[in-house]
Amino acid sequence: MIEQAFNGLVGGAFYALLALGLAVIFGMLGVVNFAHGAFYMLGAFGAFILLDSFGIGFWAALVIVPVLLGLVGMALERLLIRRLSGLDPLYGFLLTFGLALILQDLVRRQYGVQSQQYARPELLGGTLNLGLFDYPAYQVFVLALSAVVCGAVWLLLTRTKIGMIVRASTEKPELTRALGIDVSRWVTPVFGFGIALAGLAGVLAAPMRAINPLMGGDLIIVVFAVVVIGGLGSVFGSVAAGFLIGLVSALGNLYVPALSQTLVFILMAAVLLWRPAGLFGRQEGLT
Amino acid sequence: MLTVENLSAWYGEAQVLREVSLQVAEGEIVTLVGRNGAGKTTLLRCVMGLHARVGGAMSLRGADLTALPPHRRARLGIGWVPDDRGVYATLSVEENLLLPPVTGPEPWSMEEIYAAFPRLKERRRSPGTRLSGGEQQMLAMARVLRTGSRLLLCDEPTEGLAPVIVEQIGDILRQVKDRGVTVLLVEQNVHFAASVADRHYLLAEGRVVDALDNAEVRARQDELLEHLGI
Amino acid sequence: MKAKGLSIAVVTAGALLAGCGGGPGGGGGKISDGGVTLAVLNDQSAVYADLSGKNSVTAVEMAVADYKAKYGDKAVADKIEVISADHQNKPDLANSKAQELYDRRRADVILDVPSSAAALAVATQAKAKKKIFIDIGAATTELEGKQCNKYTFHYGYNTYMLANGTGSTVTADGAKTWYIVYPDYAFGQDMNKSFTAAIQKAGGTVVRSDPTPFPNDNFSTFLLKAPNLNPKPQVLGTMQAGGDLVNLVKQYNEYKLQDKGIDLAVGLMFITDIHSLGPDALAGTTFTDPWYWNANQQNRAWADKFMAKTGTRPSFAHAANYSAALQYLEAVQRAGTDDADAVVKELEGHTFNDVFADNATIRAEDHLLLHDVELAQVKPSSEVKEPWDYEKILKTIPAEQAFQPADGSCRL
Repeated sequence: MIEQAFNGLVGGAFYALLALGLAVIFGMLGVVNFAHGAFYMLGAFGAFILLDSFGIGFWAALVIVPVLLGLVGMALERLLIRRLSGLDPLYGFLLTFGLALILQDLVRRQYGVQSQQYARPELLGGTLNLGLFDYPAYQVFVLALSAVVCGAVWLLLTRTKIGMIVRASTEKPELTRALGIDVSRWVTPVFGFGIALAGLAGVLAAPMRAINPLMGGDLIIVVFAVVVIGGLGSVFGSVAAGFLIGLVSALGNLYVPALSQTLVFILMAAVLLWRPAGLFGRQEGLT
Repeated sequence: MLTVENLSAWYGEAQVLREVSLQVAEGEIVTLVGRNGAGKTTLLRCVMGLHARVGGAMSLRGADLTALPPHRRARLGIGWVPDDRGVYATLSVEENLLLPPVTGPEPWSMEEIYAAFPRLKERRRSPGTRLSGGEQQMLAMARVLRTGSRLLLCDEPTEGLAPVIVEQIGDILRQVKDRGVTVLLVEQNVHFAASVADRHYLLAEGRVVDALDNAEVRARQDELLEHLGI
Repeated sequence: MKAKGLSIAVVTAGALLAGCGGGPGGGGGKISDGGVTLAVLNDQSAVYADLSGKNSVTAVEMAVADYKAKYGDKAVADKIEVISADHQNKPDLANSKAQELYDRRRADVILDVPSSAAALAVATQAKAKKKIFIDIGAATTELEGKQCNKYTFHYGYNTYMLANGTGSTVTADGAKTWYIVYPDYAFGQDMNKSFTAAIQKAGGTVVRSDPTPFPNDNFSTFLLKAPNLNPKPQVLGTMQAGGDLVNLVKQYNEYKLQDKGIDLAVGLMFITDIHSLGPDALAGTTFTDPWYWNANQQNRAWADKFMAKTGTRPSFAHAANYSAALQYLEAVQRAGTDDADAVVKELEGHTFNDVFADNATIRAEDHLLLHDVELAQVKPSSEVKEPWDYEKILKTIPAEQAFQPADGSCRL
């Protein structure tokens, strides 16, 4: 039972990292990034390509891939997403959704749909004794790293000048500009940062999940549910809901496997009925 | 200080400002008086650069503002106190104060701010929106004072506040004026306007229909109140 | 109506000619619409794109070339066209594409159609249009069961054959207790039922079977649960396919279930899955394979030709598409026409051997292809001698044992 709960948190770690990136991007740009899953997939492929073509291993990939994808994200924001500011959110949906399909198809064209091989880093091949039970070391690492990253982002947002500006721009972009802050200067790095988080989640997934062009599209639907449950644009909410959903689906699989497909969405519906802005969302943020 | 020439503005097809021209001299407090929908708030937003569809010209101390984005205007020394007070819920009181960059040569220090607004000091760690309406108004004003802005655009700072707080705000505005700061004030409260301001523009249907001094305001008080529908 | 009347006239004329002329000649008179059109309808963009997909079109083209080479100017079908369409694994799209292929693109036969729901939709179209459909990619036994029809054939494998091969053999070899996880949709549910039946028949028990979300990338709950079941299962039977299978196997290894005494048995595995995971991730896993490219010289020679055209080794689905196309053309040759009823008559009960199917019979009662299948084991990488050399054949299951007996549920 405790082991299963822990295991749920490991699954939740991926949701949390992805939802965090989505929340930061939505907050700052007002864009629901439907291409987020594609960048998660590119993260896993990035790790695979580095190893396969350049002999660069997992640990370096953990840094290189998010940085590269972050830069790609920044370029994308500059070239495409920026042009949508002030337009109906529907355009943002169309652009990012189209982008997701294009990225997915480009990877498929090159690598096909079959999954690619990626070995676990040797250092984390074993199991760790966690007191109550043994657990695969790699998964403990995934949980720890994602907790550290989420915690660091939280500190960055709440304790630093940059975080203050991001929070202000997220909450009242117009006023923030009128107070002398060049909000658009911060939009590009924030978008890149959100993409980098998706890339990081992808690298972490490479050793334990199937690496194929479809991996992101399947996962991202659940992540959207996570973001909605946490409260659209709420950074803390998205992380908390990520781990919560990991936990709920693990225990759901255990006790009511027949519901495992739908449990997350039932939960989402229940939360929306009870708190339409999500668990940690601000009511006025939705109107 | 601020010169507005032939300013027009539209919301969609509807024209809300029609060739408005006005001038505010250095160190003056000038009010814009007019009914709801006369275009007062839009005028302030145009000066701030927040309204997209405008025609005409604006300059600050001879520097052309027309093509500048809002954050550049703020950095030239324009401080905006919006009608909804614009207090950030996700920022603490202190963060609300520290967020905008210092733009003027004589910014208020945090000590001065807290001395002038002791409630803000007490509540400095709480989220901005936990404050009462009056406290939020104080916070919005304190925020632009800390930047050292030379021109304040205050949008109905007394709206919905208790008389004792309205009086405090009047004190602050006079204090600000003593430091040589210029204020363009949107105000429905004619008494209050006459008690703090030097001159007044009367706006109706997007036009400046009259320019008045304090003596004229007092003389024509009844007529004005009737015009404002109060 | 006009076209149909015309084709009947042409067929009649053709039959008369054949009767007088002695043996089928090269004339196109017996062939409708001026040629034979073979249509491959499958998944060219989603999960099954690599294990079948576009390369199955190539396999069918190879069959056409071999047919032409064999019969030369004696070929009944002298103009043969191979066309294809992508159903993206969506039953509704499969349905409309099948209509389009039969009606507008004049397909005489539709081949492949993976995924059960899509296959059943196309079978309905075949029945309505009275055109031939040979399904390869789908596993459901419904195709030769309740939902069978005169124009639909099932070729290659099905859930019974997989369960009977893997479930019975592994149980008979001593692994009596099973924990089954299956994806919660038609295929997975069928597989769960077939495996449970086969395991019980062989004297084993299924301790528990759990449905899992589909698609799913996190199987950890089920894997953690396995050692704590009572009694502890000796085998984890996974009915997952494609990316889900890869996820499950990676995580099976991550949780070191083998060290905890739980072996892995895979319900349906394509060679592309082994390639994705690397042989070591699956080494020792037993599974049933309808065909393996490196099982003998004949298979290998064909696989070499296939590789020259596609750059990769064939899966059993590729070989089955080749065989189905070839047997269809052979039936046209024997019938002397591409008229669907006549070809169906030639296919029913036909016995043959080709590169895909050994000791093969197309059973007349339900149109299921019976053929020898292989019980295979994944080699560890130390025994892999060349790329795609992943399987060791443990034994051949003879055609009559490999598939279910006709149970009378199919009324053609």
